[in-house]
Amino acid sequence: MKTKTLVIGYGNADRQDDGVGWHILRDLAEKLGHEVPDDPGAPIEIEGETVDLIFMLQIIPELAETISHYQRVCFVDAHTSDIPEAISWFELQPEYEKSPLTHHMSPKTVLSISRIIYGSAPEAILVSVRGFSFQFNRELSPKTAALAQEAVEMIWNWTEASSPSA
Amino acid sequence: MVAQKITIEPVTRIEGHAKVTIHMNDNGSVDHAYFHVNEFRGFEKFCEGRMVFEMPSITPRICGICPVSHHLAAAKAGDKVMGVDPPRPATLLRELMHMGQIIQSHGMHFFELAGPDLILGFDADPAIRNVVGLIGADPELTTRAVQLRAYGQDIIYQVGGRRIHPNFAVPGGVNHALTADKREHMLSGLDKAIETTQIGIQIIKDWADANIADIEKFAVFHTGYFGLVTPENGLELFDGDIRLVDREGEELELFSAQNYLDIIAERVQDWSYLKFPYYKKMGWPDGVYRVGPLGRLNVCDKIDTPLAQEEWLTYRKINDGKPVFQTLYYHYARLIETLFAAERVRELLDDPDLLSNDILNKRFDFKGEGVGVIEAPRGTLLHHYWAKPSGQLERVNLIVSTGHNNWAMSEAVDSVAKTYVKGPDVQEGMLNRVEAAIRAYDPCLSCSTHAIGQMPILVDVHDSKGELIQTLKRG
Repeated sequence: MKTKTLVIGYGNADRQDDGVGWHILRDLAEKLGHEVPDDPGAPIEIEGETVDLIFMLQIIPELAETISHYQRVCFVDAHTSDIPEAISWFELQPEYEKSPLTHHMSPKTVLSISRIIYGSAPEAILVSVRGFSFQFNRELSPKTAALAQEAVEMIWNWTEASSPSA
Repeated sequence: MVAQKITIEPVTRIEGHAKVTIHMNDNGSVDHAYFHVNEFRGFEKFCEGRMVFEMPSITPRICGICPVSHHLAAAKAGDKVMGVDPPRPATLLRELMHMGQIIQSHGMHFFELAGPDLILGFDADPAIRNVVGLIGADPELTTRAVQLRAYGQDIIYQVGGRRIHPNFAVPGGVNHALTADKREHMLSGLDKAIETTQIGIQIIKDWADANIADIEKFAVFHTGYFGLVTPENGLELFDGDIRLVDREGEELELFSAQNYLDIIAERVQDWSYLKFPYYKKMGWPDGVYRVGPLGRLNVCDKIDTPLAQEEWLTYRKINDGKPVFQTLYYHYARLIETLFAAERVRELLDDPDLLSNDILNKRFDFKGEGVGVIEAPRGTLLHHYWAKPSGQLERVNLIVSTGHNNWAMSEAVDSVAKTYVKGPDVQEGMLNRVEAAIRAYDPCLSCSTHAIGQMPILVDVHDSKGELIQTLKRG
């Protein structure tokens, strides 16, 4: 029986707020007692007792196989001003979202591929944090950095609430 | 009838997305169309001041789809800057990693991106015209397709130790040797990868036979062609000199990548942020050329692996030995290259030097300037660095594959729009063909950010007064 939770942060840590997923994962790793890298964008691939953490530059199709082994998955990304909330929290359903280019694959699409090819898709949420600056810089903008702290707590509480021992 | 303007554009200021503008006549036909790229060259500036040894780790972040190409091009540029030749085993390992990249990228493109258009039809319901629809149509094929890409990714992992951004190639060689068990592991999946690629080749050939009328009117135009070749003018994806041929296949230039600035000039157009490279001697626009699978199979005289060579001979019969210029044959060319890459994997894995520990040459003879070249899946990728004696970079120039194809993509969009888009009620299938023209080139639009809310393509239809009458979004 699948019981584990996976948190997937993705984005480009060289592009300031686009990499907020990396910063959130680093903080979650710290809370979980893991050693964390200092260099924004450095690989994070941590296997824990109940929660695993992975950071990626962007979502790729192979992730469908990975997530099929989990009960719950949380995707963590940045969002632009097109989404009004400072922190957005969605429950996701598998749905193939068409993209005209190879460079874009959404969490819903990965869930869809997971369900169809591997027979199951985990319960999934998407947490995204408003990005304010996407310059070539590895430090988050102050506004996004503050929101990232809130997002860490939200995701932490979600993992605690959904853990088998809760 | 009211004149229309259709705009396909990004919705945020973040670069990396295309915009297509289609201007329609009063009679509902297309007058002309443009492909605009909102590319920002900031990454070059970002790299200035960094150490040349850092570049193989930094530049892969330009792109999450083809990081290996940037990783290896950066290491090769570093070799030149530092004046060092990697030992042969290191070169073999680098090439092996690159073949993994070719297999995963080409495999994904054909089966998961272009395949649904071809197998299910350009006009199929968009809700099913995707890899999920493909699963419904052919579950076994789809599983194989995913496995093919995974096989390529696994080669990158086995060789480089990381699935996404390898920390492997460095100026002078690579930083770890390959073990025998990893070699055996890679060999074990090879036959199936070749088999799947051959299934794909049969699919594209059957499709081409059934859709020859479309092929002959879909973005059909002549250009020169550009790509690496072996010393005997064989297909080359990893190293070698660059060959440029004209529309008839006659050689125009054969030159070292170190001299690319003598051969190529770049044209600026006021409607695109991405420059348009062309062959200097022929001038603009006569000197435009294409890169990537179609370009590479047109600049070579043979392929040095048996199965790919056999397929290439069939391919070159399309135009009686002359260059294949029809855009939709990019897909066929891509699969022939995939076959070559898989066969090349076997050759590399069988090479007795592959498991050697002689992988790093530290005898530097600092040169201060160097160009690294590689055939990325989408075409020729050039990294050009200028460094201080300390190794700190003073200047960086990157010519990415998509840049070389900029003119061709614009021409393809214009051609397909004129052929297929009819107003006033523009159908989704028509616009899908315009997108398919872009997709054939598999462009990388410097997509270094992917925040939610970014929209790769948005289609707006305006009438002659500028009123928005139709919108189509692409996520």
